[in-house]
Amino acid sequence: MDGIHDLGGKEGYGPIPIGDNEGFHHDWERRMWAMARCGLLPPGTIIDQFRHGLERMVPQDYLSLSYFDKWCVNYHMLNVCAGIFTMDEVLSGHTDQHARPPAPATLKQAIETQRGLATDFSSPVSTSPRFSIGEAVTTKRLMHSGHTRLPAYARDATGTVITYHGAHFLADKGAQGVHSGEHLYTVSFAATQLWGPEANARDTVTLELWESYFV
Amino acid sequence: MSSFESDKAAKIHRQLHSHLPSDPALRVKALESLVVERGLVASETIDAWVEAYSEHIGPMRGAQVIARSWLDPEFKARLLDNAAEAIKEFGFEGNATGHLIAVENTDDTHNMVVCTLCSCYPFSILGMSPSWYKSSEYRARAVREPRKVLAEFGVELNENIAVRVWDSTAEIRYIVIPQRPANSDGLSEADLAALITRNSMIGTDRTLTTGGA
Repeated sequence: MDGIHDLGGKEGYGPIPIGDNEGFHHDWERRMWAMARCGLLPPGTIIDQFRHGLERMVPQDYLSLSYFDKWCVNYHMLNVCAGIFTMDEVLSGHTDQHARPPAPATLKQAIETQRGLATDFSSPVSTSPRFSIGEAVTTKRLMHSGHTRLPAYARDATGTVITYHGAHFLADKGAQGVHSGEHLYTVSFAATQLWGPEANARDTVTLELWESYFV
Repeated sequence: MSSFESDKAAKIHRQLHSHLPSDPALRVKALESLVVERGLVASETIDAWVEAYSEHIGPMRGAQVIARSWLDPEFKARLLDNAAEAIKEFGFEGNATGHLIAVENTDDTHNMVVCTLCSCYPFSILGMSPSWYKSSEYRARAVREPRKVLAEFGVELNENIAVRVWDSTAEIRYIVIPQRPANSDGLSEADLAALITRNSMIGTDRTLTTGGA
């Protein structure tokens, strides 16, 4: 979708806030990130659905809310959407349906659990990849209105395949709740191809792109 | 299968926009009290994860891996061949590093990592990303004018050095192997790791030094 989240190459933004070096500023940010490690999304939620949920935020909220605040609102949304929480529960922060939580995890268990969160997104398919390393590929100009990982700045552009990753779950389908493998490539674009002759001719921008993103 | 649906999501977001408390601390508190009352997770488990990401999972992990690659050519070869596997030698695999790739700076190449569409980051090896990495400014500008962005970070690149910007659009994540500082012969892995800045592993720092780094 051509949403507000698709920031790559947008102009008008000022200096990078380079002094803002910390990962977290507030306790609530640490707690939001921690909760996101605890499996509190509706069962079966695919990461692309989480990302697409963020993209469907009210646009001015997307730009003005901080990273973890967006996550929090998205957690509320996804749980209401799945019928896990009611809107009343979310707005009050309380429920009548009390239950005893599972035994608490220790720090050691959390660190050990974290090691198991390295997810394999590859998904072999029976078809052969259309493109090989070194080959030129051209991206589509028009995409669909759902979730996609082809940013606007890299559409209708020609680059070179530098890596083939096998087939990975296609993000566009994942956002629809479907696990579907498709060939994935890393494609290198000359900066001049994306931004015009003023860019340094030596510079490149690379993206991971699925086969259906190409014409 | 969850019942997520795009237009329904947007509708709920509009309702939340109108009715959620304006203070983000209160919004997060509401989420925490709700999940704890429902028995979905214990508060102490959330505490444990806060501590894990405050004290134990951070850029010192990436720095140790890079330092090892400078000292051990065979390890460096494994890291460049398959970083996701290589970091298992340290037990550093985890969040968002299932498909980790290491890219190496050289005299004529500089690598820089961004995620323009969200803020993807290799958490288990670098910890929580810095705020600037998640900023709209970095996401918008890193791909279009990387040399200006680097200059703001104090990295002045010769025109002859090629900049490679890696936009993490799928589940592949990147870590930059910065160049080993001059005059660092004889330093231990731990001493070398202490010279490696977090930003150098993202690619917004380039020249590491042994003195007062």
